[in-house]
Amino acid sequence: MASDSNSSPSITDCTDQNPNPNEVTDHLTTLAITESENAIVDEVDSNQEDSVDIANGSLDVNYDQNDDTQVEEELPTGSVLVSAEVEVVEDVRERNSSGGVDNGIDNSEHEIDVRLSPSSSGYAGERGTSSATSNSGIEEVEEDGNVITLQDSSIDAVADSASWVPGKRHVDEDDASVSWRKRKKHFFVLSHSGKPIYSRYGDEHKLAGFSATLQAIISFVENGGDNVKFVRAGKHQVVFLVKGPIYLVCISCTEEPQEALKAQLELIYGQMLLILTKSVNRCFEKNPKFDMTPLLGGTDSVFSSLIHAFSWNPATFLHAYTCLPLAYPTRQAAGAVLQDVAESGVLFAILMCKHKVISLVGAQKASLHPDDMLLLANFVLSSESFRTSESFSPICLPRYNPMAFLYSYVHYLDVDTYLMLLTTSSDAFYHLKDCRIRIETVLVKSNVLSEVQRSMLDGGLHVEDLPIDPSLRSLSLSPHLGQERLTTDSLERFIEVDHGIGGPAGLWHFIYRSIYLDQYVSSEFSSPINSSRQQKRLYRAYQKVYASMHDGGTGPHKTQFRRDENYVILCWITQDFELYAAFDPLADKALAIKTCNRVCQWVRDLENEIFLLGSSPFSW
Amino acid sequence: MGCSSSLPDRTSRQLPGINSENAGATDSKNLKVKLVLLGDSGVGKSCIVLRFVRGQFDPTSKVTVGASFLSQTIALQDSTTVKFEIWDTAGQERYAALAPLYYRGAAVAVVVYDITSPESFNKAQYWVKELQKHGSPDIVMALVGNKADLQENRQVPVQDAIEYAEKNGMFFIETSAKTADNINQLFEEIAKRLPREPTS
Ligand SMILES: Nc1nc2c(ncn2[C@@H]2O[C@H](COP(=O)(O)OP(=O)(O)OP(=O)(O)O)[C@@H](O)[C@H]2O)c(=O)[nH]1
Ligand SMILES: [Mg+2]
Repeated sequence: MASDSNSSPSITDCTDQNPNPNEVTDHLTTLAITESENAIVDEVDSNQEDSVDIANGSLDVNYDQNDDTQVEEELPTGSVLVSAEVEVVEDVRERNSSGGVDNGIDNSEHEIDVRLSPSSSGYAGERGTSSATSNSGIEEVEEDGNVITLQDSSIDAVADSASWVPGKRHVDEDDASVSWRKRKKHFFVLSHSGKPIYSRYGDEHKLAGFSATLQAIISFVENGGDNVKFVRAGKHQVVFLVKGPIYLVCISCTEEPQEALKAQLELIYGQMLLILTKSVNRCFEKNPKFDMTPLLGGTDSVFSSLIHAFSWNPATFLHAYTCLPLAYPTRQAAGAVLQDVAESGVLFAILMCKHKVISLVGAQKASLHPDDMLLLANFVLSSESFRTSESFSPICLPRYNPMAFLYSYVHYLDVDTYLMLLTTSSDAFYHLKDCRIRIETVLVKSNVLSEVQRSMLDGGLHVEDLPIDPSLRSLSLSPHLGQERLTTDSLERFIEVDHGIGGPAGLWHFIYRSIYLDQYVSSEFSSPINSSRQQKRLYRAYQKVYASMHDGGTGPHKTQFRRDENYVILCWITQDFELYAAFDPLADKALAIKTCNRVCQWVRDLENEIFLLGSSPFSW
Repeated sequence: MGCSSSLPDRTSRQLPGINSENAGATDSKNLKVKLVLLGDSGVGKSCIVLRFVRGQFDPTSKVTVGASFLSQTIALQDSTTVKFEIWDTAGQERYAALAPLYYRGAAVAVVVYDITSPESFNKAQYWVKELQKHGSPDIVMALVGNKADLQENRQVPVQDAIEYAEKNGMFFIETSAKTADNINQLFEEIAKRLPREPTS
């Protein structure tokens, strides 16, 4: 944990926030738990605070007794006191928000939207995109005629990824605006000659001066033989990524790990390649002062939705994709018809529902990287025009071949379900259209589409449904997918009287990533992780654990148990899988470990339905 | 045009073009024609097509990616039908090099500009030249000034457009996708100008 030091030189003077004397630093308990085979050994002392097993080496006890013990003392136990528990947690949060980094002055991500009047491009907003249109917002017209869309201020209660509207925000700002300086997380892309290419906030063209400054810093350090990758300036981290003539920069005070921010810059670069391919570099060879912005016209919503995904979509840091839960025969039926068309000269056939995969098939030897899938799905989902009619467009899969365009046929089969057929042949449109008609007919006939819709309604795994006892497992198999809903639910509730909110033992949420499949499954959010803000906070916590677990320098971390005022996060990595689980901050450690074992067993029991198995090998 | 080499233009000159097996006449009473819309981003190509095909106007219409494909059949007074297979191309600069893929083999090209934007009128002239060079020799071309409902913001005089269209042997019309003004007329006029096979 790099700690803030206010004495470090500030390269941007946007640190006009309070220095926060009583800032709540993370008081984590990082415990190494012994691990044997595929089960977390749970003879670890249940007195979480003091007992530390150092079998796995690295041990980092950093426990601030004050806060948590207090909370624990205030807390009565038992299932009747559910609401009291929640309140205490809220208390802690409020204290946190008065000083915590995560609740700075400006909650830029749900804030005022300013829409420009239509520009000369004919579209409202920047660069030929229609900027955020307000579905739910309140419109107020200011004196100067600008339309300000105030999103519902009770955003915590309503907002989730579905109600978020893509598009560039705050286009009116530039580096002289106070509001611009206060944004918590900036992303910039600029050329090596200092020309702006993309900025998350504000108009790229007005940020020319600022881009030049960034460029100067990068070249200064590069010339010194050193590659700047990371600078800390007070609360702000500045992360640089140099990709040939293109520089990507993130300036953030969100306290996300540096590696996580770098991975986000990599994805932004990948998204740019998906739109233009790497051959854009040639433009800079011919003309170092080349202005790339026109080539990215109309793509603001693609980038803003990717950046939004950094705070809600685990695929952005897990490098894995997730499937829509479906009965095994249903997914098989979809896979079979996709396989058919893949044999007729289609490189990849991908059927998805929102961000989840229904089935996908690659031609012989072709494999699809999860990051490419993420970027492709993001591109399609954030470009509204795909919803209007079938289309045929060039796209590049950066992990597959960053130099070449593929041609993509995209067609929505219903509101959320879309088919993507990729080919190398520029004249394959009518063939792909025929393939789509064939696929659609089969999917309708075999009820795949209606099953998809049902699965969307049912949602995925719910922590409340975690089977209580392995001996009862057969009863509770696929509570949402199969017919055997039975009465295990009521049985469970009867047995486990004290599980309170969320799943047993205070389990609130989990993500399970299968290493061989490059797929993950995450539980649905449920109480108390309801609001998008809480979800975002949880993802940031997972992200932090992920970064520390994958940080090569510190030896083999196999398990981690972190407790802070918001949660207990338990992370467990084996050769086969990674499990990230969030519990009530007061959860009992031994019970939490037991519960994680049950989650793994549960996921294995359901793997036929929640994962895409056994199609073509995805090895890279 | 900026740096078109970043785009798939290396191959695009040889792009075979997207053609269904038997584009053109299916029989003398029922024609099937490939039509392509070209023009700057934001001039209203997609709105024109959606007005024609679905009778709708969505003011929040979104920038097109690559090209969209739609079709619509109209019946003419002489009881023949014409099925338009429409390629609504993206006006964004990065797709410019890809245009041949969509206009090659097209029987009709509709070049659209926005009457409130002189730049879009210039862009339209660029497309006309490109079609004259690389399009089918017997292509039917229409010049369309869209957003005619925005009279008060007009920047391109009707007379300029008429003269340009005449010089280049094009059919000219002003439309409004918003009010539906002249949208059906545009396609009907095109249908009338299609070369017909002599009835056997
Ligand atoms: N007032 C008025 N506005 C229009 C008309 N037609 C289109 N627009 C507006 O112009 C904007 C752009 O229209 P599109 O049809 O998406 O433009 P396009 O030519 O398809 O643009 P690209 O797909 O980027 O090439 C939309 O936001 C419409 O609201 C019209 O006839 N009158
Ligand atoms: Mg369009």
